[in-house]
Amino acid sequence: MNQLVELKSINKKYEKKNVLYDISLSLKEKQVIAILGGNGSGKSTFLRIAAGIERPDSGQVLYASKSIRIGYVPERFPKYLRFTPDEYLHYIGRINGISKAVLNERISSLLYRFGLKAWRNQRISELSKGNIQKVGVLQAILQQPELFILDEPLSGLDAAAQQELLSIISELKEQGTTILLTYHEASIFEGMADQTYYLKDGCLTEEVMTEKEDVKLIEITSFIGIDVAEWKEILYSEIREDRLLLYVSSKNSNQILMRILELQGSIESVSSTDFNS
Amino acid sequence: MKEVITYSLHDYVRSHKYFPPISTYFVLILVFYTYKPNPIVDSYAITALFLFVISAWLCMSVLSLDSPVQRQLLILHLGSSCQYYLAKLVTVWLITLLLTVFTFLYPIIFNMFSGTVSFTIGFVTFANHVLLATLGIGIASFFSKVMMESAINAYGGLALTIILSITALGIHEALPASIRYVTWLLPPATVTQQPLIQWEGDSLSHLSYLSFIWIVIYAGVIILLFLILAKKRR
Repeated sequence: MNQLVELKSINKKYEKKNVLYDISLSLKEKQVIAILGGNGSGKSTFLRIAAGIERPDSGQVLYASKSIRIGYVPERFPKYLRFTPDEYLHYIGRINGISKAVLNERISSLLYRFGLKAWRNQRISELSKGNIQKVGVLQAILQQPELFILDEPLSGLDAAAQQELLSIISELKEQGTTILLTYHEASIFEGMADQTYYLKDGCLTEEVMTEKEDVKLIEITSFIGIDVAEWKEILYSEIREDRLLLYVSSKNSNQILMRILELQGSIESVSSTDFNS
Repeated sequence: MKEVITYSLHDYVRSHKYFPPISTYFVLILVFYTYKPNPIVDSYAITALFLFVISAWLCMSVLSLDSPVQRQLLILHLGSSCQYYLAKLVTVWLITLLLTVFTFLYPIIFNMFSGTVSFTIGFVTFANHVLLATLGIGIASFFSKVMMESAINAYGGLALTIILSITALGIHEALPASIRYVTWLLPPATVTQQPLIQWEGDSLSHLSYLSFIWIVIYAGVIILLFLILAKKRR
């Protein structure tokens, strides 16, 4: 397989925090590479640097060709676009130099595949979150990309659209596209990635295939006075709306549950989950 | 690049953000020509200064149309940040060109002048409007959202720069002779005023071109600097 992109010793700092530290990675044709990591680990920054839309503080991004076609699906596609999906995709296609005839056909077929045909003439700002995300995917694949970069593309997509995205990624891969993506939670992409890397503390490490650890997700609704920052058994925690979510290894879950009850926390649910740290 | 210009014009019209600067400009012109007759060259020299300020305002609003993510996507699709920013500046310039045509024709159509506008006077005053509009766009690009995150710094900085450039002649006179040359650093918004007012409008050979050339150089350099710095800010 030929090399498509090479990232050499990439460093990126935001204020004083090292987000990416001396990262090197080669992407070959037809490869699917997944980058995993927790919130704020620098996944999105890494993808933007690979796409060439953000500069690293030091290091180089080398593409096989200067005219490489890159499709990029941002984590949050702009909500307040004043165009309809049809108008927007036509503009993007024309900017890419696609002829009007090809564009009309391609846009109609993609809108149909993603179930957006009924909304093709409604302003993007008036669409649901999922449909806006679909437009974000469509603008990236309008011209068949050689490098397709997706930043948590599943958020907001319904099951049908997720499956459609999966089949489009498979088709693109067949046609020679290299795919670089991130995902956070248990994902339909898991079986698809040829190589998975973890981004933690600014460093990229290749996944070591180990037996999956059984992880419990504990949802707590009343957590005033509970500070989990010092609890070493917690794999990952986040506050979502008014709930505290704790990801804990199964073997430590009873101990954590006892501690929460002792601190008068209110446990909403405990469930098994897949977790990629 | 043509498609980004069309995209931006279409987006700008839909955003309605054009309304405050353009309506302000129309009001300024209508009020300015309340009484007649008016001297031709002097009136056009003043309306060119109005256009300088309004062009800067238009530039600020056009450069704030795209969200950061949308800007990144358009640059990626276009394959060049320089072309993207240049397309945005050309978008503003085209709008100011329409305003120039309006400014030029309005007093002629409604007989606001004391005499007839000759081809020579028309050419020079039209060019003066276009040059000052370009200068306003260039200055505002430096204070736009692309370069400054804080709106207070951006609008405050732009307002101060515009005031300094309009009052440059007064500042030049007030400063001690040894440091007077610093006023050359200020945007040359008023350098064409004096040559125009002194010009009798009979022949192009009686007009001093130096100030016009200085605006072209100044605007060209700051637009070039903006394009370089905006590219580096990725």
